[in-house]
Amino acid sequence: MKLRMPEMPSATLLGALDGYNLLPAIVFLPTRRRCDQAASEAALARRDPNESRRDARREFMREFVEQNPEVRGHRHWDTIIRGGVASHHAGHIPAWKLVIEKLMSAGLLDAIFATATVAAGVDFPARTVVLTGADARTGNGWRPLTASELQQMTGRAGRRGRDNVGFVVAAPGLHQDPQRIAQLLKAPPDSLVSQFRATYTTLLNLLDAYGSFASVREIAERSFAYRDFAHQFAQLERSREETEHKINQALKEAACEIPMSVVLGLERLLGIRARLQEAKPQTRAEVFHRWLNEVVKPGRVVGVGRAGRRLVMVTEKRDGNVRGFREDGSSASFAQERIGRVYSPVYRLREDDIERGFEEIRKRGKELTLVEPRLRDADAEETDALMIVDDAIENLLPPNIPDKQRCTEIVWELHTTAEDYERVTRRIAALREEVWLPFEKRAKVLAIFGYLDYEAEKVTDRGRWLADLHIDRPLLVGEALESGLFNSLEPKQVAGIMAALTADEDRDYGELELDDDVVSSLSRFEDTGFKVSAEEWNHGLDPAPELNFSAAGAAVRWASGAEWSQVVRETRAEEGDLFRMFSRTGEALLQIAGLHRTHPQAAQMASAVAEMVLREPIR
Amino acid sequence: MTFVRRNSRKTWDKRKPRGRRGQEQSTRKAGHHEANERSTRVVPQSREVKRLLEGIGTPPRKPFQPDEFQVEALAALEFEDVLVTAPTGSGKTWIAREEIRRLLESGRRAWYTSPLKALTNSKYQEFIDEFGAERVGILTGDRKENSDAPLIVGTTEIYRNQLFDSLRGGSEVSADLVVLDEAHYLADEDRGHVWEEAIILTPPRIRLLLLSATIGNAHEFAAWLEEVRGVRCGVIGGPTKRPVPLRAAVLLPDKRLLPLLNDAGKLNPEIEILAADNADRRRLRK
Repeated sequence: MKLRMPEMPSATLLGALDGYNLLPAIVFLPTRRRCDQAASEAALARRDPNESRRDARREFMREFVEQNPEVRGHRHWDTIIRGGVASHHAGHIPAWKLVIEKLMSAGLLDAIFATATVAAGVDFPARTVVLTGADARTGNGWRPLTASELQQMTGRAGRRGRDNVGFVVAAPGLHQDPQRIAQLLKAPPDSLVSQFRATYTTLLNLLDAYGSFASVREIAERSFAYRDFAHQFAQLERSREETEHKINQALKEAACEIPMSVVLGLERLLGIRARLQEAKPQTRAEVFHRWLNEVVKPGRVVGVGRAGRRLVMVTEKRDGNVRGFREDGSSASFAQERIGRVYSPVYRLREDDIERGFEEIRKRGKELTLVEPRLRDADAEETDALMIVDDAIENLLPPNIPDKQRCTEIVWELHTTAEDYERVTRRIAALREEVWLPFEKRAKVLAIFGYLDYEAEKVTDRGRWLADLHIDRPLLVGEALESGLFNSLEPKQVAGIMAALTADEDRDYGELELDDDVVSSLSRFEDTGFKVSAEEWNHGLDPAPELNFSAAGAAVRWASGAEWSQVVRETRAEEGDLFRMFSRTGEALLQIAGLHRTHPQAAQMASAVAEMVLREPIR
Repeated sequence: MTFVRRNSRKTWDKRKPRGRRGQEQSTRKAGHHEANERSTRVVPQSREVKRLLEGIGTPPRKPFQPDEFQVEALAALEFEDVLVTAPTGSGKTWIAREEIRRLLESGRRAWYTSPLKALTNSKYQEFIDEFGAERVGILTGDRKENSDAPLIVGTTEIYRNQLFDSLRGGSEVSADLVVLDEAHYLADEDRGHVWEEAIILTPPRIRLLLLSATIGNAHEFAAWLEEVRGVRCGVIGGPTKRPVPLRAAVLLPDKRLLPLLNDAGKLNPEIEILAADNADRRRLRK
């Protein structure tokens, strides 16, 4: 039940909360921009009248700047000092977020406007948590908040030792729904769900450590995702043992000295028999239909109608329907079962060939007619096969056992039990397959590029250094290293490539123009990426995300020595996004720098570029 | 067992040099005073709202006393792995810190993993303040300091990578305790698998302490831990009550404040009426 209410201006909202003595508050808003706006508006509209608190904030921040110069002159500086309010979200750099957390913790702020993502991890409580809606913003619209998200948020309400009571307030908003919030407050917390998956890094490391696919498989089977598998396996194994025991017991009681495999053999043969029976045509119409399916094809002339007088050249056949041309050139479309006769020659579908075809059929139709099979001929194959199976069933029991009659009866009686046994065996195999398959696919791809020896189940020398490369898409970077791509590049190109690789796929880091040489290095890298992706696709692996060229532009500028403020200004990207992207780029470069034994040149380069990228304020 | 009061303070208080403490306290007092001053200018309130807001304000200062679940968790750690599930801010870190203190004092070693670099950095600072810089090291993707220290703080990925290295014949992970902070990251779509690998590959001789947000299937999770590690795992739920009780309210555009729930814990009927009105109005507009 939505309760759509006009959203209050942030200053009005804070005023209302203040009237009830509900400050300080954390106000959750759906987007970063709204947080920034709300904080600025509130600061403009409500100047904190308490001068000593303003001074305290100023003093606090001045001290903080001494250790964290990167927050000096931040565009929200005045908002905080004057209004005692701040915005806090992933668009800010870590140092800025830290100073706000500290100010809040010191009791110097009245309100923080934050996105829901902030609720995870950092701990800065307030007396009141304000929700402006019951929905969360996604990349393409809205979705309802989950119980866990709401719990993360309300977890901030009430400061231990500083509040007797904490409050959660549903404030006016277009996506407000008090009923839903009431429900969510009472909902049990979400369950932990495993996200276990196969990765190249895990596969290479485990295979190198344990030396066999079986061990890797065993570890995968122990994951939380497959915790039920262990139980299911145990259960299935138990039921398999039980049936095995039942079968052996019955054979023993009847004094039949035959192995269990005979009983299973009968089950399998009976299975084959049933399938053959099913495939065997039972009526003349069925035989004729199957025969038509086989012989009617484009390029053949058929006779339509019971007598098969009207001739049609077939051009197309789909889902039991046939299209073609009549002798007068008009087109025809009809169900395949209306065909009465089929002629053997196959003509090319060109005008003169078609005409020649009709002429030939008119002249020598009789001798060119294909003979339809009779029922007895049609099922000859199946009948033969059935006879062989029946023979095998007959001779299943060894010829010289005593009391053969009795044993035969027992074996037949046991056949449903044997069916259970086979079903359980198949189920176990299927479970094992499900766990292992994602690893197997990756193993095959790695084998193609020479990082592991599939037959020997061994990591190659190449694979060993790839295992050490803890990076997104290690195979792509490994191939780029092997092809010597990194040896021929300038530092800024290396920075661009690694940034394009590690950045979030669809995040915008501005539209800085790329020099031709950077573009050409990126496209060479993409070529390598395509080779890898194509092989991955061949093996049923999802295509990798695209390179982020916009990230490359920002990183090239940064690695070329531009000032932080300059990069922020030129890209118009959010500081927090740039910070995270550069930080991850630097980490990836350090990974490559670690390969100094196998790729000294690239490692040296990566190390130098990492130094350029990981300079203040990135650290 | 004795518990030291000064441990209850949070990271950001600690980052300040000790000499400035006095000043810091006075700033806090200013904020404090302000809050009390504000509480005197309150709008006229209905009885219902008065009840909703009853008791609002700051409690008198009490000496720090560990919660029952914290003591329980510490005791359990002597014998088994422990999974603590409690909301943020309820004092999970205190458990880890006291256990680490105990180990360090007896010359043993610990690894503390966290999912985010920012958290790792702030924990590093916190532990330096607590145990002294020479006893703490940090390992993240771009930071490596004092890596032979008896207490290592780092990201979960780096810890997992160390496990890989030791399995492949590198040096052993030398820790007697591994703390996995924010263990519910196991359910993170991109990175969750790293937590599982870390848990599966941590040798059973190393004690595991998992700190997690509240989750619905804690016992199922612990059962898996026991199975996969062959070590008993205790589950310690957080405090049964929130450390600070929570009340829910709805603020209306006319600045009226209504309790979200009635005494029976059901949706306040007044809000239901408002919502029905709201729906009617929307229908009429159409």
